[in-house]
Amino acid sequence: MTTQIELSHIDKHYGVFHALKDVSLSIEKGSFVALVGPSGCGKSTLLRSIAGLETITSGTLKIAGETMTGVPPRKRDVAMVFQSYALYPHMTVEENLTYSLRLHGVNKAEARQKAAEVAATTGLSALLKRYPRELSGGQRQRVAMGRAIIRNPKAFLFDEPLSNLDAALRVHMRKEIRTLHDRLGATSVYVTHDQIEAMTMADHVVVMRDGVIEQQGSPLELYDHPISKFVAGFIGSPAMNFVPGTIGADSRSVNLEINGSLSLPLNRTLDTGRKVIVGLRPEHLVVADPGMATLRLPVAVVESTGSMTYVTTNTTPELTVVETRRMNIRAGDSVDLTIAPEHVHLFDPTTEQAI
Amino acid sequence: MSRIFNSMRDGKGFDLILVGAAMVFLLALAGLPLVYNVVMSFQQVDMFTLGSLVRPFAGFANYVAVVQQPEFWLVTKNTLIFVFASMAGQFIIGFALALFFAQNFPGASTIRGLFLVSWVMPGLVVGGIWSFILAGDYGVLNAILKGLGLTQATIFWKSDPNFSLWAVVIANIWLGLAFNMLLLSVGLAAIPRDLYEAAELDGANAFQRFWTITLPMMRSTIGAVLSLGLIGTLQQFDLFPALTEGGPANTSNVAGYWAWQMSFQLYDFAKGATISVMMFVLVLFASVVYVRSTRHEVRG
Ligand SMILES: Nc1ncnc2c1ncn2[C@@H]1O[C@H](COP(=O)(O)OP(=O)(O)OP(=O)(O)O)[C@@H](O)[C@H]1O
Ligand SMILES: [Mg+2]
Repeated sequence: MTTQIELSHIDKHYGVFHALKDVSLSIEKGSFVALVGPSGCGKSTLLRSIAGLETITSGTLKIAGETMTGVPPRKRDVAMVFQSYALYPHMTVEENLTYSLRLHGVNKAEARQKAAEVAATTGLSALLKRYPRELSGGQRQRVAMGRAIIRNPKAFLFDEPLSNLDAALRVHMRKEIRTLHDRLGATSVYVTHDQIEAMTMADHVVVMRDGVIEQQGSPLELYDHPISKFVAGFIGSPAMNFVPGTIGADSRSVNLEINGSLSLPLNRTLDTGRKVIVGLRPEHLVVADPGMATLRLPVAVVESTGSMTYVTTNTTPELTVVETRRMNIRAGDSVDLTIAPEHVHLFDPTTEQAI
Repeated sequence: MSRIFNSMRDGKGFDLILVGAAMVFLLALAGLPLVYNVVMSFQQVDMFTLGSLVRPFAGFANYVAVVQQPEFWLVTKNTLIFVFASMAGQFIIGFALALFFAQNFPGASTIRGLFLVSWVMPGLVVGGIWSFILAGDYGVLNAILKGLGLTQATIFWKSDPNFSLWAVVIANIWLGLAFNMLLLSVGLAAIPRDLYEAAELDGANAFQRFWTITLPMMRSTIGAVLSLGLIGTLQQFDLFPALTEGGPANTSNVAGYWAWQMSFQLYDFAKGATISVMMFVLVLFASVVYVRSTRHEVRG
């Protein structure tokens, strides 16, 4: 595996605002990397820096081994799919697709031939003579994709390409983009604020926060071993429950400050009396028989989607529980919960780092 | 009765009232004078029939007489040069300035705003200022040209037959520059930034981006600027009395000023009206071309 895009110690300032702080990231050739994080954390800035649309203040960026300092976007050989699609409104679909080829002096017949091929892979064959304003949102999205594919670039950069589509189409395009990526053997960097998109599409997920890379790794690594409360809360849906707690006298259990005091066993030893934040994923909390339960809590809301049951407890802080079984529980009842010790995440209350 | 009243409050009647008011206004203040002008160009008009509407019909006699005037072809040529050179100057320099001020350097919008001064000033005042600048013996322009070593001789801009028309053209370019720049700036600002970014990533250099993105996206703006420029230039009057009065020997005379001279200096109202009708036909033709060109407008 060779490195296709290498960022080392990148800093980006907008005037006094520090948008990217010492970002280092190495992207393997052929991999699909997702950049996630809350709004304003610098995902787009990082992506646009790779494209050359923003100049980085310090640090080095290499694409396919070449240092990109001072190289204008048009010489970087990367393609970008914009959130707004940025289709050329005065050109037909075919002209949009062949624009870059025509700029590079490819002759007309060959360009049309390639456009036809790309249109076939993206399902645009019947729309080649239309103008962007005559297309639906999903079709525009495909044109934006096709325009990137036709160039066979060193890397694809996506900036929230699906956020303007409805939920069903989004799920469909998710698969389609990933399939296309595999077929082309492309290198893709995909910005999204939707962690499900990141988890389902990417080989490697980069979680950003306030211009810093908080954690990176495979989707399951991030899910199983979040290094901080922030990553733990960001990855996974519904979000992880957080409850303040104190390590018990036996050093191998934690007392939760919820609905009086309830105790959970741990699979490791910690100093007695240490304050912690306990993280419990909704899908790891199991509704159990009264005898073996460790937590007995009142129920506030029960929602069922048919396949799933969501139980919210009437406590402060409230807990969300996801069960795949059908439950015979109603609001006002009590529910008995257990959780396996290896699924209990602990975080330091001041640093918010995982313990 | 109440049905009619209701429809006047909200319904077809209300629409008709709104459209009607505008139509009455247009007809009274633009339509009637226009028709009167056209009618007059087909009549014999002299000092005694000036006050009456019904005068002897003259057929195309006025048109023939105008074309047979010794200065007709000179004025036609001058008008074409004046219109073409003024519009080209206003448009090209205006576009260059609009592109320059679109670069978002500190103070760009403030300085652009200052350019409006030329548009706000009355043509007569602009003419007066340029009259000083262009003066042969003490003019600033001559001083600059001589200082730069571009010319040794004193150029009498306003009274030399070789330069008199250009003196008015220069002043007119200055006068219309801000208007051109402003409209073109608005058009430029309406082009989404991400189109340029996409084009840049697709491999377009600055010139290619201008040619393949800016110009096609500005098509309707450019059409509007050019047609308004044509109308404004044909209507330009103030600069002529202030600078050259059409002279010397009609070398800087154009159709608009000539029509005025005919009517209000020589009191030959029929010929004056005839020249205006000829100009009107020209503007009408240009407007039709413009309207047709914007019909297929694309804006995403
Ligand atoms: N041109 C600019 N000038 C000044 N600050 C900017 C500029 N562009 C972005 N920023 C700031 O940089 C930070 C990161 O912006 P960025 O667009 O990268 O966020 P993002 O992670 O893509 O967010 P979103 O999910 O909302 O798109 C934001 O706080 C933003 O206000
Ligand atoms: Mg963004």
